[in-house]
Amino acid sequence: MRHRVKTFFMMWLSLILVFTLAACGGSGGGKKDASEPSPSGSSAQPSQSPSGETVELTFWHFGQTNYEELAREYEAAHPNVKIKLTSTESGAHHDNLFNALSAGAGAPDIAMVDVGHIERYRPAQDRFHNLYDLGAKDVQAEYLDWKWAIAENADGSFLFGLPTDIGPTAMFYRVDLFEQAGLPTDPAEVAAKLNTWDAFVQAAKDFTAKTGKPFVDLPELLFNAIRDQGDKQWFEPSGEFIGGSNEQLKRAFLTAAQGIQEGWVGSVAMWSPEWNAGMENGDFAVVLGPAWMAGYIKSQAPNSAGKWRVTDMPEGAGNWGGSYMMLPKEGKHPEIAFDFIKWLVSPENQLKSFQSHGLFPSAVKVYDMDGFKNFTDSYFGDQNTAEVFMRAAQKVKKVWFGPLWDSANNTAYNNGLRKILAEKNLNPEQVWNDVIKEISDTVERQ
Amino acid sequence: MSDIPASTATGTRVRHRRSYNQKRRDMVSGYLYISPFYILFAIFGVFPIFFTFYLSFFKWDGLGAMTPVGMRNFELLVTDPKFWKAVTNTILLGLMGTLPQLFVALPLAFLLNSAFVRFRGLFQTLYFMPNITSIVAVAIVFSTIFTNTDYGLANYVIKQFGGEGLIWGSHKWGVKIAVAFMVFWRWTGYNAVIYLAGLQSIPNELYEAARIDGATWFQQLRYVSVPLLRPFIMFTVVISTIGALQLFTEPYVYLGRGFGDQGMTIVMYLFRYAFINYNMGYASATAVLLFFMVVTFSILNTWLVSRRNRV
Repeated sequence: MRHRVKTFFMMWLSLILVFTLAACGGSGGGKKDASEPSPSGSSAQPSQSPSGETVELTFWHFGQTNYEELAREYEAAHPNVKIKLTSTESGAHHDNLFNALSAGAGAPDIAMVDVGHIERYRPAQDRFHNLYDLGAKDVQAEYLDWKWAIAENADGSFLFGLPTDIGPTAMFYRVDLFEQAGLPTDPAEVAAKLNTWDAFVQAAKDFTAKTGKPFVDLPELLFNAIRDQGDKQWFEPSGEFIGGSNEQLKRAFLTAAQGIQEGWVGSVAMWSPEWNAGMENGDFAVVLGPAWMAGYIKSQAPNSAGKWRVTDMPEGAGNWGGSYMMLPKEGKHPEIAFDFIKWLVSPENQLKSFQSHGLFPSAVKVYDMDGFKNFTDSYFGDQNTAEVFMRAAQKVKKVWFGPLWDSANNTAYNNGLRKILAEKNLNPEQVWNDVIKEISDTVERQ
Repeated sequence: MSDIPASTATGTRVRHRRSYNQKRRDMVSGYLYISPFYILFAIFGVFPIFFTFYLSFFKWDGLGAMTPVGMRNFELLVTDPKFWKAVTNTILLGLMGTLPQLFVALPLAFLLNSAFVRFRGLFQTLYFMPNITSIVAVAIVFSTIFTNTDYGLANYVIKQFGGEGLIWGSHKWGVKIAVAFMVFWRWTGYNAVIYLAGLQSIPNELYEAARIDGATWFQQLRYVSVPLLRPFIMFTVVISTIGALQLFTEPYVYLGRGFGDQGMTIVMYLFRYAFINYNMGYASATAVLLFFMVVTFSILNTWLVSRRNRV
């Protein structure tokens, strides 16, 4: 009897082993499936699979897009291709993809990846198809340089994804509050008056003195706005931490800190109910945000239609958000998948995505198309907001982020700016030095 | 399964074999019935625990190759002032949010158990409610109470007393008060229900005898309830200590992914290294150290509680 129990336990343990090894087995299988695509095979009729059979592509995406309709349109034109879409909330979507890549099994043929998450997948270059091998060079000229460059590896020989939308940043402001404070209200005049950060700071001080309200909503967005106008961010492609010597970062930090101490930068947290309510109630006059923030303001402040406008930020622009279409290496039909994503992000389709869901195009040709040029937004007093963001898109700098970019910003916000917010008498220079020290400690710990 | 053909066996042997087979079948089906739990537990419980120990000696970003680094993660960890800051925060939050629960939950349970309370079932349900309320809803409500603006409830109250409003999300004590409040609110009812179960197991005759001897309400609590509740108190103390050391949900829902040092608990520190810095080995080393801390605290607690009650 004891012997039998023992045998049974052995069976049970092997069963568990099978379960646990299944994950490892997947990675072996994944490698085997990854056949090198032939560069020549990509240009000729890629949608025709060799045997003429139906090919099914899995496509993971997130957010509000028209990709479902576009996929159906593509299927109609290519009867032998079926596209299975799965839409997941952004956070879970990127975690699922990370887990699938880590396990070596379960990744889709096509994955949409937000620019804010792209650094997570960089170490897994071997688990993606190099889109340069599939003919991506042919379409490179159609897209904004800086957008394209983010999807390349450090030496530029590998391309992770094709560009979808972008989030060029501009200055959203409330006409009624500007008027109250005696500031100009016309977008062109505002941009002309607040053409430098010094002018911006002066206007902010005057505004707060007159109205008693903060000018800028919160410190993080002001910091980001100035940070993103620099030629460099926190890290070099070599991994070296340059935050301590980057004057633009310091300037961004000290300007935001000054705003906190002088009271013209508000204290609400981003995405908090108070921030949302502030957009409707006019608790602050300025939001330095990306193109997609227009949709957010509309949804949070429906009764403030006509009170908000958009204009150029002082001294340049940055980018926040936007995505890429990537092809995980597990996919067995990279040529067909590439043909689909190339079509999906083509200028014509980016215009459709812009018109239906406000996804701001990264394909420069769209900026000359009629449906884009004549765009007006009744919420923003019939202003052509697309024109403002288009100017911003062309001012964005080509920069390197690095794997700890997110972590570095978190430190600057929460152990830097928010710390000053909580204890207003701190010396900003000293806090900045502490922030730099902390980030470099974290870098050393990696 | 058998390699002996049945036809060669004698009648008795067949009968014996049949009952033996039946026994084995019963055993197999028994194990099969309980196997879903054990299989899932092995995959999602046992394996990750051992893998965490293994991983703590490696450097791994979750995707690339795993590099063995020996004790480096542990060395870096114990020399990081931020880690000790997280330990201090965790202990402070335990003292502010968890310890008061135990003192409030016991009299609360005693009141709920007393005969003169009407709608007892309703009160029990109400006190337990915070524990099963959706944590997302809790986060929204509490972040509205403890908000930086002047019209948040907490700041409004402070202003009524002539104080100045706090930046709750990042103020040294503000964030701790807000998180401790949430912890207290969520878990007091849970502990009270456990004590209540304990109180209901104490025979009523003991109270009657105490009353006949002229014991007051407090004396009944002190000399009848508390001594007999010892195993329940022990249980809640140990569970609460473990919970306090592993505090994560409340600060995380209140502060989100971006948080400063002031609200950083040990598990928040771990989370930052695992899911913001993608340093899985270092995060695992933190988990291993936390494991030993929990073991130490639990042993210490058990020893203290049992010693105190013996005296």
